[in-house]
Amino acid sequence: MSEPSTAVVGRVNDWGLRWREARWLQQPALLVGGGLLLAMVLASLLAKQISPYDPIAQNLSNTLQPPGPVHWFGTDNFGRDIFTRVLHAVQLDLQIGVLSVLFPMVLGLFLGSLAGYLGGWVETVVMRVVDVFTAFPFLVMVIAIIAILGPGLTSMYVALTLAGWSAYARIARGEILVIKKAEYVQAARALGFSNLRIMFRHILPNIVTPAIIFAMSDIVLVILSTTSLSFLGLGVQPPTPEWGSMIAEGRPFIMTAWWLVTLPGMAIVLVGLGLSLLGDGLADVLRTEE
Amino acid sequence: MEPILEVRNLTTQIPTRRGLLTAVDDVSFTLHKGEIFGVVGESGSGKSMTCRSLLRLLPSSARTVQGSAVYRGSDLLRLPPKAFNQVRGREIAMIFQDAMAVLNPVHRIGDQLTEAMLAHRVVATPAEARARAVELLRKVGIPAPERRLQDYPHQFSGGMCQRLVIAIALSCQPQIILADEPTTALDVTIQDQILKLLIGLQHELGVSLVLVTHDMGVVAQSCQRVAVMYAGQIVEIADTVSLFTAPKHPYTRGLLACVPQLAADGEVLPLAPIPGSPPDLVHPPAGCRFHPRCPLASEECRHGTFPLQQVGQQHVSACIKHEELGPLS
Amino acid sequence: MNDLRAVPPILEVKGLSKRYVMNAGFWQQLTRRPPDLLHAVDDVSLRIAPGEIFGLVGESGSGKSTLGRCLLRLVEPTAGQVLFRGVDILQLPRAQMQGMRRKLQIIFQDPYSSLNPRMTVRQMLGEVLAVHRLCPPHRVEARVRELLHLVGLPADAVDRFPRHFSGGQRQRIGIARALAMEPEFIVADEPVSAVDVSIQAQVLNLLIDLKAQLGLTMLFIAHDLSVVQHISTRVGVMYMGKLVEMAPRRLLFSQPRHPYTQGLLLAAPQPDPFHHSTRVALEGEPPSPLHPPAGCRFHTRCPLASDRCRQAPPPLQEIGEGHWVACHHHDLAVWPPPAATPWAA
Repeated sequence: MSEPSTAVVGRVNDWGLRWREARWLQQPALLVGGGLLLAMVLASLLAKQISPYDPIAQNLSNTLQPPGPVHWFGTDNFGRDIFTRVLHAVQLDLQIGVLSVLFPMVLGLFLGSLAGYLGGWVETVVMRVVDVFTAFPFLVMVIAIIAILGPGLTSMYVALTLAGWSAYARIARGEILVIKKAEYVQAARALGFSNLRIMFRHILPNIVTPAIIFAMSDIVLVILSTTSLSFLGLGVQPPTPEWGSMIAEGRPFIMTAWWLVTLPGMAIVLVGLGLSLLGDGLADVLRTEE
Repeated sequence: MEPILEVRNLTTQIPTRRGLLTAVDDVSFTLHKGEIFGVVGESGSGKSMTCRSLLRLLPSSARTVQGSAVYRGSDLLRLPPKAFNQVRGREIAMIFQDAMAVLNPVHRIGDQLTEAMLAHRVVATPAEARARAVELLRKVGIPAPERRLQDYPHQFSGGMCQRLVIAIALSCQPQIILADEPTTALDVTIQDQILKLLIGLQHELGVSLVLVTHDMGVVAQSCQRVAVMYAGQIVEIADTVSLFTAPKHPYTRGLLACVPQLAADGEVLPLAPIPGSPPDLVHPPAGCRFHPRCPLASEECRHGTFPLQQVGQQHVSACIKHEELGPLS
Repeated sequence: MNDLRAVPPILEVKGLSKRYVMNAGFWQQLTRRPPDLLHAVDDVSLRIAPGEIFGLVGESGSGKSTLGRCLLRLVEPTAGQVLFRGVDILQLPRAQMQGMRRKLQIIFQDPYSSLNPRMTVRQMLGEVLAVHRLCPPHRVEARVRELLHLVGLPADAVDRFPRHFSGGQRQRIGIARALAMEPEFIVADEPVSAVDVSIQAQVLNLLIDLKAQLGLTMLFIAHDLSVVQHISTRVGVMYMGKLVEMAPRRLLFSQPRHPYTQGLLLAAPQPDPFHHSTRVALEGEPPSPLHPPAGCRFHTRCPLASDRCRQAPPPLQEIGEGHWVACHHHDLAVWPPPAATPWAA
């Protein structure tokens, strides 16, 4: 009786492991999206090599030149090369996008998980606050907070965090309520693990997936709203190259020099496209991993 | 024994990310009029998929790529959709494992029972349908049927829901019922009730029943003939007594030896498990699919195909070494 | 069975109850209606001796799983005592309970949801060893391999995730995880119900081997009588939260005395084509647990029910050596049933 049952298990096929490594490469959306973003970041890092112009220095003898072989995207009303400015803005805009999603995500996941895991009055308080925050229109709240703190990059981060965390808290709480019931969490309790360990090792990693998938689409939204803020003069201040403020500055010339507004706008569209493709692909990969 | 449904070379495939998965692989069997035909196998053996292929109720990506299923002179797999709908539900009905999920929670029981009868014009008027519904509920053992027609599915227990599903399946007086694990989700005492109800009704109505199950006990208690499936293929077909007393395939024998049996004196014999696990159907082993787990396997089992061969009266097996199987201990 | 009594039990359950309060919502409070109580486990007492495998059998809603989880305080019982080596673990403060968990382990039913999908086997087992300092860090790797070998998994399983394993292999991982704690008592909560027939025997044999090898004591919960018969040394039968019969294995299966146990035995379909009956073993369905019937809870389905059964709940009494039955008419419950027993009707 003692030998047979321990010797009977066959070898595990290892196609699973190999597949896991290859699966990233089998997501066209992920590859195209990631490639697009990577290309944009590379181009901005090599901006000085690609384009000889200065993004900030004005050249008033060369204003409002249409796109052509010398200035690919034309020049603006201060004679600055638009292509150069668009390139230099990539880093800043992506940084704004990523950070203004990262901060609310961390805050939201933390509070939401706390609410979901502990339940009771903690849950009631956190979720009522979430309700209050969700009830405010997003942009109105952001503008109000920036108005209080004064315009600038820091206050923009603060405002976007305060306005954005509630969605993540909701996601986290919902997921936790499901995972809390999963038997592996029961198993962790039976193994005598502490609450902190169960929360951080066993529950949180399993709720990050839906949060990341949501965050990918959120980044696009946030970039769009930061450009609206810059457009309103509340975000990044000129002359720093930033797509939103470039569009804002180009607005008076929209009838005579379309490239001032349209080409930075195209950059936003491209980033949005890249991010949403990346998000789609990532969602597929992460989901099938379960 | 008059054949009522002849299935030949049925093959159903499902594309997956890893490649083509052959869920049902060249399955052939004949269902006789008025018999209970068991299809037994483990999860992933293709037993449910066989049923679903016959009723053309496959998941959207799956395709039946080959085969025929001849019922009354026409091939079910090639009938145009309209003609097929005349057959499905009316002449061939299906009973699923999860009764709760089959019943629509927002409609009254009475409406769900009469719906098929009216749609297939089995009855002329709603009043007639109602009268028949009451009779059906009584037949499947639901107390106070007149009152219960007004109830919703959630007001019924799991066992009662399965009785309802059986009533719906019977409503159009079908010739064939395909029952896919009809008692698996139920508790032992309820399973016993439902199984005996099904057997009784089958006997009374003379309908042909295909009973798909993983439980050798259910097979022994209800079926006249049995097909054993492994990894998408039928490996043995026999009458129930032969299958349990003189199985001619090592897999069947393995299944019988690894199922614990109740002993009247409470004494237990050690179980002999089948080593290993069922194969991956995207990359099945070459040759006989059971060879990696088979105690009789030799070089010749690793290559080629193994069609069912006659090994006795009404007894076919895919094993080329069935003669090496000694008598059951 | 005398020797069984002489040995002090490793685990003793006294008067254990678990009640759930249902519908205690806003409306209920407003109308001041008393909330519905669900008695999942109702006043159950039992003793398990070292080295025993105590099989607990019952249908869904019988409270067998809840009872198992109460023993580990994964569910907090409402009343009663759980004495582990004489210490009432229900009274232990949190910190001491964490230590106690090392000695009491559980194997879950569902091998799919009981393993964290994001941890490799190495991480899972390593974590247990590290958190409880069960072995020095440099020995962890060796111990993980030892555990895998113990449950019959190949050594190259360590770096795989649960999704790379079949149901039976996952169940082995779950067993290895419980064994990593070097427990003295294991609750096996339907460990073979979710695995395939051909794998079920592998897991059962593994548990039997481990019991012999490591001297484990086990509470084995199942709904399948033949599985329980196969593995247990003693068996208890539950119905609607109550323990209705308890006896050493042979006695219970050869001379069941509670009509419910008899019904269960008759209802289980046997893989024997010569041995069948067209009679239904037990008519009716269990009543709602929210409003259990007065008297004996089984009287609504019992072929022997009398007025006495409808009024007075039968106590669990010892009718023979180690054979306990909660039935007023246990002396009328004939076994094996003659051809025309009352439940033929």
